[in-house]
Amino acid sequence: MSYKTEATWFYYLKGRSIELYQRSDYGRTDTLGSYKIRLPDDSSGTYFIYPDEDITDGLRIEYTSLDTPFVSEALEDMQIFTDGSDISFSGNQISGVGTSDGFASGDKIRIIGSKSNDGDYTTTSAGSTTLDDSTTTFTTETAGESITVYQIPKTVTTSSADESSHVNLNRMLSLACVDYLKAMLADRDGDIERKEYYMREFWGKVGDNESNKRKISMSLPASPYAMR
Amino acid sequence: MTIQELMERANMKESGLALAWLKDAFHLLQSNSTEDLKTVKYNIIDGERDYLIPQDMIALNNISVKDTSDDKYKRIRRLTVQPITSEDTDPE
Repeated sequence: MSYKTEATWFYYLKGRSIELYQRSDYGRTDTLGSYKIRLPDDSSGTYFIYPDEDITDGLRIEYTSLDTPFVSEALEDMQIFTDGSDISFSGNQISGVGTSDGFASGDKIRIIGSKSNDGDYTTTSAGSTTLDDSTTTFTTETAGESITVYQIPKTVTTSSADESSHVNLNRMLSLACVDYLKAMLADRDGDIERKEYYMREFWGKVGDNESNKRKISMSLPASPYAMR
Repeated sequence: MTIQELMERANMKESGLALAWLKDAFHLLQSNSTEDLKTVKYNIIDGERDYLIPQDMIALNNISVKDTSDDKYKRIRRLTVQPITSEDTDPE
């Protein structure tokens, strides 16, 4: 059983690989039943060992990718969500949420808060208080849990993106992209001064977008080794 | 805002080129900020040290390991110096 992983596990980046290490403070260990035991043939000390147990889905990597540059609907038009304890699941159907909440057939939705149906789905039909996903069989769940359903961007593959698609960015960053296009046009024309001007405008809008998120008070969790 | 609208604002007519440049802009944004994060989970295997970085990664945000004692993923820290073993033919 892994414990205090924030303090006992480490990684090292090596080219395209991540090397995982565990810190061992107790010499060489083994697992007997569900107990960790220290082997008597080894001296104690602190050193790194390789992962010494199987953990299903144990390594979680969060990163940015070029996976979804284009979406079918503007982000600012996707403020559709509903929550409540009257949402239930059975077969291919979610009950208690539907077109009366603003959802439509073909929407990509995310469910959180359910006992066993959290995840992303794409609706294949929608009634006033029901949503269906014919490709999924939900785990039957009666109403009672506090569940939230909200719309998320529906990806358009790069090969099928066209003028009617949207960039997977909010309006401010979409406007920044206009400056980027102007900068690239200037670059193509060999007008470096104009290109630099538009790139400055681009980064200015990116900066504004970031600072727009930070006009609120923040509280930060203390690190494990912070002075108290 | 549709790509058509972006092209009109930039006074641009070639949609193929606009899509390519918009993809470049998205790449640049993803490289410098955490606009749209993606998550993958791998199984940790006893005695296995090396795990592949996702091939579609632009920028790494964080790495966590599941604490099975309370079923939470906790961010782990990066070593700045590699431990001395470069290859281990008998990891157990």
